[in-house]
Amino acid sequence: MLRVPRTPWMSALLIFLMLLIFAIDTFSPLDMAIAVMYVVVVLISASIWGRRGVLQATASCIGLTVLSYALTHSEVFSAAASGRLLVGLLAICVTCVLVLRGQAATNALLAREEALRRSEAFLAGTQRISKTGSFSFKSPGGEMYWSEEAARIYGYPLDLVPTMELVLAHTAPEDRGIVQAAMDQSLRGESEVEVRHRLLMPDGELKYVHVLARPRQTKDGEIEYLGALTDVTAAVLAEQALHRSQVQLAHATRVTMLGELAASIAHEVNQPLAAISTNGEACVRWLNRPQPDLDEARSTVTAILESSARATGVIKRIRALARRSDPQQAELDLKTVVEESVDLVRRELNNHHVALMLGLPSDLPPVLGDRVQLQQVFINLLMNAIQAMAACQPGQAVLTVQCQLNADGALQVSVSDSGPGIAPAAVPRLFEAFYSTKEDGMGMGLPICRSIIENHGGRIWAKPTAPDSPVTGATILFTLPVHEPH
Amino acid sequence: MNPIDYSDSLIYIVDDEAPLRDAISSLLRSVGMQVASFPSVAAFLAEPRKEITSCLLLDVRMPGVSGLDFQAELNRDGVALPIIFMTGHGDIPMSVRAMKAGAVDFLAKPFRDQDLLDAIHAALTADRERRQRDQARNGVTARYATLTPREREIMGLAARGLMNKQIAAEVGTSEITVKIHRGNAMRKMQAKTFADLVRMAEALGLA
Repeated sequence: MLRVPRTPWMSALLIFLMLLIFAIDTFSPLDMAIAVMYVVVVLISASIWGRRGVLQATASCIGLTVLSYALTHSEVFSAAASGRLLVGLLAICVTCVLVLRGQAATNALLAREEALRRSEAFLAGTQRISKTGSFSFKSPGGEMYWSEEAARIYGYPLDLVPTMELVLAHTAPEDRGIVQAAMDQSLRGESEVEVRHRLLMPDGELKYVHVLARPRQTKDGEIEYLGALTDVTAAVLAEQALHRSQVQLAHATRVTMLGELAASIAHEVNQPLAAISTNGEACVRWLNRPQPDLDEARSTVTAILESSARATGVIKRIRALARRSDPQQAELDLKTVVEESVDLVRRELNNHHVALMLGLPSDLPPVLGDRVQLQQVFINLLMNAIQAMAACQPGQAVLTVQCQLNADGALQVSVSDSGPGIAPAAVPRLFEAFYSTKEDGMGMGLPICRSIIENHGGRIWAKPTAPDSPVTGATILFTLPVHEPH
Repeated sequence: MNPIDYSDSLIYIVDDEAPLRDAISSLLRSVGMQVASFPSVAAFLAEPRKEITSCLLLDVRMPGVSGLDFQAELNRDGVALPIIFMTGHGDIPMSVRAMKAGAVDFLAKPFRDQDLLDAIHAALTADRERRQRDQARNGVTARYATLTPREREIMGLAARGLMNKQIAAEVGTSEITVKIHRGNAMRKMQAKTFADLVRMAEALGLA
C-alpha cells in the first residue's frame, strides 16, 4: 500500500481535493458519475489517517455526494442521475470497506514487524550485556551463521561471512587442537559439543571463551548445531587473581610458621651435623690406631654420608616451604607427607613432652596435590595441637594422627590432641580469618588450611568436644580425594 | 694413641637419636672404651648395670622422661652414677640445674671430641675413686661385724686414745684381757698397725 507522510499539508490537500470534486460534481454540466472520484479521496485517506479518519472521510464523501445530488436534481427527478448517485455511493462504500480491511492488515503486519525488531534488539542487548553470542552451523555442509556479539567476541567485523577457518585463525595456537577436535566432532554430527578455550586477537588480547553447541534436525534432514559462545575472560581473570592471592597468603603464613619453628629446624640440622663431626673424629682415631681398623672407619664414613643426606633433606624441605612457587600437582603418598612434616616439629614434640601416635596404614592410596601445601596443613595442625596441650600434666599430652578411607572412598585424616578441647561455641568460627582461640594467634592458620584443602577437592572441619564426654581434646578432620591414575 | 687403659670401665649412652648415639659410640670405642648405648631411659633402666667403673652420657631432651627428671630420679634411688649431659641447645638455666644436681659436665652439641673424652675421663676417675671409697668402707663394716661386743667396745675406746690400763678400768677387767681383745680386734679388722685401726674406727664413726 502507498505510504504517505502524515502531514497537515496532506490532510489539507485531501480536503481540497474533496471540495474540488464536490465543485465539479455540483457545478459542471457534465452528466457523469463524478462522485466516483471520491474513491480517490477515500483511498488516499487510508494512507494519511487512521481508521477513524477513513470513516470520517467516507462519511464526508457520502454527505457531499448526496448534497451535490440534492442541489442539482432536487426539482427534476432524473433516473440516470439517481443511478449515478447510487453507483457513486456504492463505489465509495466498497472502497471504504476494502481500504479499512487493507489498513487493518497493514497495521497488523507493522505491529509484527515492530515486535520482531524489538525482540531482535532485546536479543542483541542481552547478548551484549551477557557477553554471549550465538552461532549455528550445518553439518556436514559447514555453512555458518553468527550473531553480532559472536562476531564481536571472535574479533571480526559484523559483515564478514563466518567460517570455521576464521574461528581457528583467532584461536590461541595452544588451543587450536581442542577447537579443531570439537569442530570435527560436530561435523560428524555427534551429540553435544562443549569446549573452553582461549582466543588470541591480532592485537595480542587474550580472551577466554566457553562454547556450548547442541545439534538439531532441520526440516530438510540436515543437522544444524545451535551454539552459545560466552566470553568468560573476566571470570577467569578474577579466578586467577584469587588463586594468586591465595598462593601468596599461603606462602606468607608458611614463612611465619617457619619463623616459629626456627629452633626446631636449627635442631634438625644441628643433630646430623653433630653426628657428622663426631663420626669424622672417630674415623680419624680408627685410622690413627697402631693397627688401623678399616671396617670401623668405613662404617663411620657411611654414617657421615647418611647424616649429611639427612641434613640436606631437611634443608631442601625448608627451602621448599620458604619458596614461593605455584602449587605443583603430583601423586603423593600421604604417609610420607605426614612423616616429613613430623620431622620438622619433632623438637616441639620433645620440648613439650608430647607423645605422638601415628596411625597411618602403609597401603594408603595416593592423592594428587602439592607436597609443600599439604605439609603446611599438617605442620599447622600439629603445632596447634602441641600448643593446645601446653598445660597438660607430664605424660598426659598425646597427639594422634590417623588416616583411613572413609565411606565416600576419600582419604580422611584426623589430628587429635588431649588438650582442653574446643568450646562448642568456637567451632563454627574456627576457620574464619582473623579468629583465634590463642592469645597471640593471628587467626590465619586454619583459614589457610581450609583454602588449601578445598583447593585439593577436600573439606576440613572440627569435631566439637562433647560436654559430657570423658575424653577431652580437639579433633580436626579433613578429607582428600583419592587419585586414580588413568 | 690414648695411653689410658679403659678396659675396666663402661660408658652408658642414652640418646634417642640413633645417628649421634652410634657416632659417639664409635668415637669412644676408637679410644678403647667399652660402650653400652640405649635409645631411651626406659631401655637403660631395663638393663642390669655392671658393678664396674662407669658413667652415663645423657641427652637432656628426649621424648618421655626429660634428662633432668631422670637425674633427679637416679639421685633419689641412690644411684651414684656420674652423668654427663648433652644438649642440642646451649640452655644455661638448664645446665646450672644439672650441675647443681651433681652432673659432671654439660656439653653442647656439636662438641669437640677431646671435650667429650676429657669429660668422660673425669667422670670415670670420679666414679673409680668413689667405688674404691665405698669398697673400703664396705670391707671395714663387714669386718667390724665379726667382732664380739667386748672387742668392739675395746676397739672404740682404744681408738679414742685410752691406754690399756684405762680401758681395763673403764670396762672392769684385767689389763691382760684388754690386750687379748685388742689383739683379736686388730687381727679381725686386718689392721697392720694401731694407726690403721684408728682410721677404720674413724671411718665407722666410732672415734
